[in-house]
Amino acid sequence: MKFWLVRLASLLLAVGFAFGLESVVGHQFPSIYRLVVLAGLYITLSVSLNLINGITGQFSIGHAAFYMVGAYSAGFVSKALFSHQPLVPQLWMIVMALFGACCAALTGLVVGLPSLRLRGDYLAIVTLGFGEILRIVTQNIGAIGGAYGMNVKPFGSPPQALWLVWLLAILCVAVCRNLLKTAHGLPFLSVREDEVASAAMGVKVPKTKVTAFVVGSAFAGAAGALLAHAETFISPDTFKMDVSFIILTMVVLGGTGSITGSVISAIALFAIPEWLRNLQDPVTKDPIQIPGPALVASIISVVIAVALFKAVQNRFHGSKPAKFGLYLAAIAAGFVCKLAFTPILAQAPGLAAKSFEASALRMVIFAATLIILMLIRPQGIFAHHEFSWSWVAKLFRRAPKEATA
Amino acid sequence: MVKLNKTFATTFGLTAALALGIIGASGCQDNSAAGGTTGTAGTTGATAGGTTAGTTGTQPNASPRPTPQKDGATIGDPIKIGLVASQNGDLKPWGDDNIKGSQLAVDEVNAAGGINGHQVKLRIEDSNSTPETGKSAAQKLISDGVVGLLGEVASGITQQMEIVAFDAGVPLVAIGATRTDIATLGSNFFRVCYTDDLQGPVMAKFAYDYLHLKSMAIMTDNKQPYSVGLSESFRKAFEEMGGKIVDEQKYQSKETQFSSYISNLKSKNPDGVFLSGYFTEVGPIASQMRTAGVTVPLLGGDGWDSSELITSGGDAIVGNYFCNHYNNEETRPEVQKFLADWKAKYGGVPGTTMGALGYDGAKLMMDAIKRTMDAKGTKSKDLIAALEDTVDFPGVSGKITLKGHSGNPPKRALVVKVTKTGQSFVKAYEPDEVMKK
Amino acid sequence: MNLVAGLDFSILPQQLVNGLLLGSIYALIALGYTMVYGVLRLINFAHGEVFMLGSYAALFTSWLLGFSPEAVRGVDRPSTWVNLVVMLLVSMIVCGLIGVLIEFLAYRPMRNQPRIASLITAIGVSLFIQYAGGLFLPQSPPPAISEQVNPYRNEKVSIVLKPAGQEIVAQAADATKKAAIAEKAYDDAQKAGAPADKVEQLRNDAQIASNDASRLQTQVSSQTSGLVIPYGQLGMLITTMVLMAVLWFVVQKTKTGRAMRAVAHDFDSAALMGVNVGRIITITFMIGSALAGAGAMMYATVLRTPLSPFLGVQPGVKAFVAAVLGGIGNIPGAVLGGILMGIVETLVVWLDGLVPGLSGYKDAVAFVVLIAVLLFRPGGLLGSSKVEKV
Repeated sequence: MKFWLVRLASLLLAVGFAFGLESVVGHQFPSIYRLVVLAGLYITLSVSLNLINGITGQFSIGHAAFYMVGAYSAGFVSKALFSHQPLVPQLWMIVMALFGACCAALTGLVVGLPSLRLRGDYLAIVTLGFGEILRIVTQNIGAIGGAYGMNVKPFGSPPQALWLVWLLAILCVAVCRNLLKTAHGLPFLSVREDEVASAAMGVKVPKTKVTAFVVGSAFAGAAGALLAHAETFISPDTFKMDVSFIILTMVVLGGTGSITGSVISAIALFAIPEWLRNLQDPVTKDPIQIPGPALVASIISVVIAVALFKAVQNRFHGSKPAKFGLYLAAIAAGFVCKLAFTPILAQAPGLAAKSFEASALRMVIFAATLIILMLIRPQGIFAHHEFSWSWVAKLFRRAPKEATA
Repeated sequence: MVKLNKTFATTFGLTAALALGIIGASGCQDNSAAGGTTGTAGTTGATAGGTTAGTTGTQPNASPRPTPQKDGATIGDPIKIGLVASQNGDLKPWGDDNIKGSQLAVDEVNAAGGINGHQVKLRIEDSNSTPETGKSAAQKLISDGVVGLLGEVASGITQQMEIVAFDAGVPLVAIGATRTDIATLGSNFFRVCYTDDLQGPVMAKFAYDYLHLKSMAIMTDNKQPYSVGLSESFRKAFEEMGGKIVDEQKYQSKETQFSSYISNLKSKNPDGVFLSGYFTEVGPIASQMRTAGVTVPLLGGDGWDSSELITSGGDAIVGNYFCNHYNNEETRPEVQKFLADWKAKYGGVPGTTMGALGYDGAKLMMDAIKRTMDAKGTKSKDLIAALEDTVDFPGVSGKITLKGHSGNPPKRALVVKVTKTGQSFVKAYEPDEVMKK
Repeated sequence: MNLVAGLDFSILPQQLVNGLLLGSIYALIALGYTMVYGVLRLINFAHGEVFMLGSYAALFTSWLLGFSPEAVRGVDRPSTWVNLVVMLLVSMIVCGLIGVLIEFLAYRPMRNQPRIASLITAIGVSLFIQYAGGLFLPQSPPPAISEQVNPYRNEKVSIVLKPAGQEIVAQAADATKKAAIAEKAYDDAQKAGAPADKVEQLRNDAQIASNDASRLQTQVSSQTSGLVIPYGQLGMLITTMVLMAVLWFVVQKTKTGRAMRAVAHDFDSAALMGVNVGRIITITFMIGSALAGAGAMMYATVLRTPLSPFLGVQPGVKAFVAAVLGGIGNIPGAVLGGILMGIVETLVVWLDGLVPGLSGYKDAVAFVVLIAVLLFRPGGLLGSSKVEKV
């Protein structure tokens, strides 16, 4: 009885949260509505890839393919059938999300089968190859818009898709979390750790691998279907290899295998470039300009700071507070370098006159963040840890404990 | 797995049921919105036909264009105009010139006291040379409250912007988008350039009558609606005149190696080759063609227009022909004044024709805003009506008349020849000469 | 034309040469992927970007040598083969240094970390170079190396398998003469200020004559079944072969090469045997990147490719696939895979005559071949498929 009460309560909470978000963003911040939708989709994508990559240990780097299959199949059906069916747009979107999920799951099955024979880098390349093949085939089919893309616009105005997107994200997180928390998840984890040993222990390795692929791609497909309806225009370029890489990065950066990490890094990695894109002077509303010398000085000093930081991390074996102090010193050294280098570089002809828009720097900063985070924390932000209330409690409890000791 | 599946199913069932209940409550509203815009549903089909070139609308006047439902933004102070241009990506040379031209026009009006005493603010957003980004850029500008939109130079991007602008009821003045069927999407669409319905036949006539080429091959950029549409209109016009199209090779933007297409094409012995793509690919294609021993004349559309064509095309591109909107050598006072102003502000001459078209677009928009305000109009809706009323607007690229032309002004097209240092004027065609009424 | 089921077999040899040229570039890049993978088990995603930087190095060198767009616009500058060699060497050296720098800054600190973390770092480096390159490198309008830097651009080797008919050759020569005469008559009339209609008449004649000439010339060249290989492309093939021979020599015959093979075979044992692993990895990166640099220079100069900061992405992916196809970590395999990749890609375009629309799939076919090969030979064409030990 208690089991069902908890289930029902969390379900209500999830739905309530999704609708709350919808109404808050829809009414208070309409300008970021689209971004919140996309962030929700990225959460779904990164958590579902985490199921394949992090939890089951199958190195798949072509996740955008499933995203695309969902988007195109649902978009195509929606375009063709929406006007002849009785459902209201919101319900129709749920049906389409299910349809997209089914199509992507079928694709996931096809891609998952080679995983029985290939492993490691070879599997990675095959998944990447499948993604590219699907994208190029899509580019060549005129009926779904070919290389240019397809307009999916069955409803008069773009529908309110935000709540559905976030509900999907929550559902995806819930499925993965429950999988890890229950006995059903153990085969997945054991396949990740050692295939031969799991097979010896009676785990059905092929079935587990394929299941991971099918479930992971189904979620990506549902996300794709919602994307097609929320954006109303999809093109093969939306699902390029870069998108696969970004999703993979979200998984690894958050900590392979950690759902919390995937969620947080999905939001962060999506938000950083968008925030930089919209960075503007608060008064004049003009884009912020960064002078060339300052930029080059920053790049040099970041390299120095990271090198120092890394050196402290590897070479220093003192007490924790001392180490923390040295970390701060490394960062401070970086700032000093920046201040010192800027006037020197300003003497360089050609550079001084150059300036860059903050929005043009967004991908550079994105990439630099990626490299730096990997250098100083290769296991990902959360490593294997998950968010839990007891963990939060421990975090707060620790400090007084140490003080008494 | 059983238990998991059960939980999964229950969860989903409950979610769906809950969602159903909630939608049930708000359903009527959604329904009416969907019913109210049947016009849009109709046009979606036309847009989706985007790449199936056969549907290129050749008679833009055939059916009345759908009218936007919303009134759009209100003219404020400062008056906000949005411009979507490619500040990054392949089309950057055009985007940059477009911005410079439009900014020049706005600065000129502001220096002269603005429109009826109100300053004009040009809000610029980057389309990154892709339709998706162009679309969200247009959305952003509209949510910022611009009264009218300018842009883009590429048809594929403009098509997406028009969908957004139509929904919001904001007028869109396209700078260099020549694909014909975009204009059928809504009555809020106007352009300052000619269409491919003119450009294709002009080049076909030029090839057949002036260069006496009887059989042509075509190379199409399959990724660009512009190129697909232009190839189709060229093919149709050329075949109607009695010429023969012996081959069509299709490549995609961003390819860099064309030798295998060229070998295919060469074996068909064409008298000439029509390259309907953008300059980014045309240069390398021309250069690789000469390397492969194809020496026949090459022809193209306004997509060729860029000073970089000569560097990437080398000797191979020199002496070939393309269709353009205007020419720096023209002596009309509008052209001379524009070139002088450009030189004063930026130095040199505009590298591409988009400078002039961007200037014309912004000028036309501001002219229409002035007429709207004089007629006590305050909404984008009134601005659309004012734009539709434009007659003989003296643009740098020629006179622009929008009244009764469904957004597609009849304009002159010039054929120019690529020279080692730029381009030289060869022949001008009036729309009546080539377009069948 | 020898049409068989819509296919023109007379152009098949030419298409194979096109494929070979493209394939040799892929092979040069693939060598870098495969060597790095051999020693580090790391897919160096930034390798395509090294290739891109190499093409820019060649571009800047050509500017320094006096072939900047401003300098060559409207004039013919003489050039010699020395310029080409200088560009090739500069681009190789620059790429070699960049490769070493990337290894030192980004990969060395990651050496004892999980491989997926190194992979993400590689992706990060790749994105960083692409977008930082976008800030500093000229990209718009896409710059191209001036063709004038190549002194042999108008010379070519023709290998004639079956010559065109005597008749048509004579006709073409005749038409060319006539065109020159008509052109001259038109010029003279224009200069003499003849009446407009007369000038127009002469222009028409000249135009028709020159059309005839160029049509007949093209006909001669397309009826000649055989190969036309410009000197530049021939030089490119020879350079590629020389570089590969040098690489083979270094890897097989020198002490460093033996150390590289040892590290590739077993990283830890090699270290225990006294091989300076750090130095070997640096050298591997340097050689691999320098080969990419050579490929980049030839890709931009001989194959006439316009440059952009994203230039390396497509060839990079293709070369990577080529490396896997041949068996990643296997040097002859990378060469074989690269050339196969180039030829398959070209043949797909040729087969377009049989199956219209097929050419659109040319990038996909590479992956189809890859997947097919991997499913039947999981270790690649020349690679050994080891059974993983427990």
